[in-house]
Amino acid sequence: MKNISCPVNFFVQKIVLGVVALGFVAAVTESCAPRPPYRTPIPPAVSRPPEAPTLPPPPPPPAQESVRQPLPQESKIREQDLKTKGPVTPPGGKEPSKDAGPPLPDDSSLLAKITPGIPPQRAASLRLTEEGRKLLDAGDPGKALSRLEKTIVVDSTNPYGYFFLAKAHYRLGRYKESLNFLDVAESRLSEEPFWLAEVHALRGENLRALGMPQKAEASYAQALRLNSGNRTAMEALSRLQAEGSSNPR
Amino acid sequence: MKKSNLRIFSISLVAFLLITSSGLVFGSWYLKSLEKTVTEKFEGQKWRFPSKIYSDSYLLYVGMSLQVGDLWDQFRRLGYREMQSAPRTKGEYRYQRSSGLLDIYLHDFVYPTESFKGVPVRISLQGPVVTRIENQATGQEMFSLELEPELVTGLYDRIWQERRVVKLSEVPPLLIKAILAIEDERFYHHHGIDPVSIVRATWVNLRSGGVVQGGSTLTQQLMKNFFLTDERKYSRKIKEAIMALIAERKYSKDEILENYLNEIYLGQRGSQGIFGVWEASQFYFSKPMSDLTVGETALLAGLIRAPNKLSPYRSVDAATKRRNVVLAKLLDDQIITRKQYEAAIREKLPHRELIKVTNDAPFYVDYLRRELAENYSNDALTREGLRIFTSLDLRLQRIAERSLSEGLKKLEQSYSNLRRKGDDDSLEGAIIVIRPQTGEIKAMVGGRSYQKSQFNRVFQAKRQPGSVFKPFVYLAALMAGADGGKKFTPVTMVEDSPFTWNYEGQEWQPGNYNDEYFGTVTLRRALEKSLNSATARVARDVGIKRVSDIAHRLGIQSSLPIVPALALGAAEVTPLEVAVAFSTLANNGVRATPLTVKQVMDPTDRVLEKRDVRVEKVLSPQLAFVMNYLLKGVLDRGTAEFARRWGFTRPAAGKTGTTNDYKDAWFVGYTPDLLAVVWVGFDGQSKLGLSGAQAALPIWTEFMKQATAGTPITDFIPPPGIKIVEIDPLSGQLATPNCPYILREAFLEGDEPTGTCPLHPSSTWQISQSP
Repeated sequence: MKNISCPVNFFVQKIVLGVVALGFVAAVTESCAPRPPYRTPIPPAVSRPPEAPTLPPPPPPPAQESVRQPLPQESKIREQDLKTKGPVTPPGGKEPSKDAGPPLPDDSSLLAKITPGIPPQRAASLRLTEEGRKLLDAGDPGKALSRLEKTIVVDSTNPYGYFFLAKAHYRLGRYKESLNFLDVAESRLSEEPFWLAEVHALRGENLRALGMPQKAEASYAQALRLNSGNRTAMEALSRLQAEGSSNPR
Repeated sequence: MKKSNLRIFSISLVAFLLITSSGLVFGSWYLKSLEKTVTEKFEGQKWRFPSKIYSDSYLLYVGMSLQVGDLWDQFRRLGYREMQSAPRTKGEYRYQRSSGLLDIYLHDFVYPTESFKGVPVRISLQGPVVTRIENQATGQEMFSLELEPELVTGLYDRIWQERRVVKLSEVPPLLIKAILAIEDERFYHHHGIDPVSIVRATWVNLRSGGVVQGGSTLTQQLMKNFFLTDERKYSRKIKEAIMALIAERKYSKDEILENYLNEIYLGQRGSQGIFGVWEASQFYFSKPMSDLTVGETALLAGLIRAPNKLSPYRSVDAATKRRNVVLAKLLDDQIITRKQYEAAIREKLPHRELIKVTNDAPFYVDYLRRELAENYSNDALTREGLRIFTSLDLRLQRIAERSLSEGLKKLEQSYSNLRRKGDDDSLEGAIIVIRPQTGEIKAMVGGRSYQKSQFNRVFQAKRQPGSVFKPFVYLAALMAGADGGKKFTPVTMVEDSPFTWNYEGQEWQPGNYNDEYFGTVTLRRALEKSLNSATARVARDVGIKRVSDIAHRLGIQSSLPIVPALALGAAEVTPLEVAVAFSTLANNGVRATPLTVKQVMDPTDRVLEKRDVRVEKVLSPQLAFVMNYLLKGVLDRGTAEFARRWGFTRPAAGKTGTTNDYKDAWFVGYTPDLLAVVWVGFDGQSKLGLSGAQAALPIWTEFMKQATAGTPITDFIPPPGIKIVEIDPLSGQLATPNCPYILREAFLEGDEPTGTCPLHPSSTWQISQSP
């Protein structure tokens, strides 16, 4: 996966992550911290059978975050809220280090990508992706998966379809399958740093669920390098580091 | 009394007692056995429910271009009726050509993930393009619309009984009353047999000199349908009567009536028998029983007497007469009012075309059964009424079937040596169609005629792929540079001349088609023209083991011999394997597992199994793109250029395949969204004597032209890390203004040529390139 063997890079990464983690700890004490548009719950760091006959529920988030799955309409409100507030500021209000790059403007709205000149199959595919996303947000990854599979049938070049397919598989506890779809999404989103950061962050989540915390950490770091405002990566790294300090590896 | 008489009397008495007691013993045993039979039927599994196989659903969306003719066909097969007025009930549609408005009242359908309630929808069309979709019930705009899947066939044992079991409470009271009025009006007053009816029927039969009227009660009819045959014998009637008495003694009237309503035979759709009132309501009126009008209810009740003779599919007049008889009886019995009667009698029965379930995809279904056999026994498949949702696209399936059959016929007309007398070893072919992104098998034709041979050449026939294998050699070459071996690019020069390859003490001399050699050519040219000698040289430089590894990585599962001749396809693979391997290229290096079964549901709509799209990235998108770009040249300039002349002009990549001995002809070709493999040959290994371009390409072209009509034109999109430059195709160097032909070539970034064409130098060009 990502190269963490270079000692200089690794050292710089650690500093950046440390700053981000401190910022986050400060932020969780504030009651009015801004919410991300789409939260990826952090699964427990144990591997589950990828083909479990009964579908596992989305992994519960840590208690102090008081995260719940947003309802579809809620998700829309948050999205709008975020747009008015601009990009996410790292918790604690601290700017990420230069290595992490600036927080990118929120580009998560798929419907905003439907512009007048867009090919009809892309527009239809984006709408289906949005429906799939809402089903995911509403906690129905099985139904979301069926919807999302159609997105790539209608438009095989729609990269967001692959990303959300990965997300649906992740929610279903099929982490390896999720990683496979992320590989495809990554190759098709290489020129969209906001989404590429989402890909790396979700990859981190999968790797963490598969019991590979170091690789997960590298993926989160990669996500933050692309978009220092990536909430999933930020929170996951903080948690990883908190776990690391209480249970040194 | 004389002694002898006494003896006779005694013997007679003993004999009488013996016969009587035997009769009593036999009679009670017989009654017991009949009772056991009746009980087992009532309390055991009464019916077998064939599993049903459904095609994939069809998604319509705003902006898409419709193949309108295909859509009407699909509506027809789905049981939608065209109306002149606005649709009022589910299953009706109206198309107003002048305004381009298509109104359709969608059916209900239970999908594996949701239950859809039919709604009226308006689709606005501008030419073939969908401009707006609106839910007319709510006035809301919709952006896409899913048409329910089509029933492909049923999996049944001997007889296909189509039936959905309903409870008595689910049957409309009017329908029950109508059936009782016309079939057995004293149902609630007799004990299984009705002497009044029997006397009446006997009188009529005696007068006519034959059996023209039955006095059977509903219970007797049920017993006949459950256990007996249709033969009109008194012995059968007696048995039927005894069983009816037993059933009435053991079970309530409502239980008997409910069984009757589910058991009764009500018509035929091809191989599919229609049983029970629920199924009949759908079959004749495409609507649930609760939505039936008084007239439709009367007809349904009237059909029981002779469903095929009185069927409105067969004769609207006969059906109308029978309906009116029932309506008159309902009026006489005061079950309906005169107003209802008059309204019902005015209802016109529409003439409807009977659409039979014909199983247009028998090879696909066989393949599916093998896949299902891993998890479901044959008994489960033929008795338990599973609903199996598949990836099959019936439109593509029909096009594939037609293209293959007509293509083979044309070949036989053009080449007399291909014609065989009788059925033995006739010219055969196969097509498999895959969607590369999902691995869904959209169509499969395993042979020319399923009736003659069920051998499925798509996955059961292992044949030599010939030149279809060559792209694996070239892919291995493109990868070799990245792995530290000799670097190949599309413009690397390769020698195309006779040579000997010494491999593990063996000599092998590959020869070109017609012994024609081209000297030094670019890698692209060697692939486009399918040059054996040049390809073998590339394989030698790359290593044949690496070629084999690449083929496996892409999706070939058969074992491949590690010998030089493998470079030219001296191995045995199935068309399915070829399809999977090339799908990986079409899908930018991502291999999708072939998918046929998508979901399996039980009769209670519980999802038993769901198979999702599974993918794995096995190749970089950059390498896949360069290969696709090279293989596009095969259609644009190479051995498959006739596809362009025959009218297939979309961006597509492909490769012809011909074996050395001319026994197998192949073509594998794909757009970014659809891939098809065609194989043509003889089962008995007779010589075909034609190349892939001559035998398989015409069939592929015909299929793809029809299959892609109306779909968006897509091209392979270069991923980052690809450099496209203009080169001279002969020298392989950057083109100058003096180059007569210029080709846009794709390279992995950093591999592109830096020198200018030495064959057509240009001073100004060279100056402008100087720092």
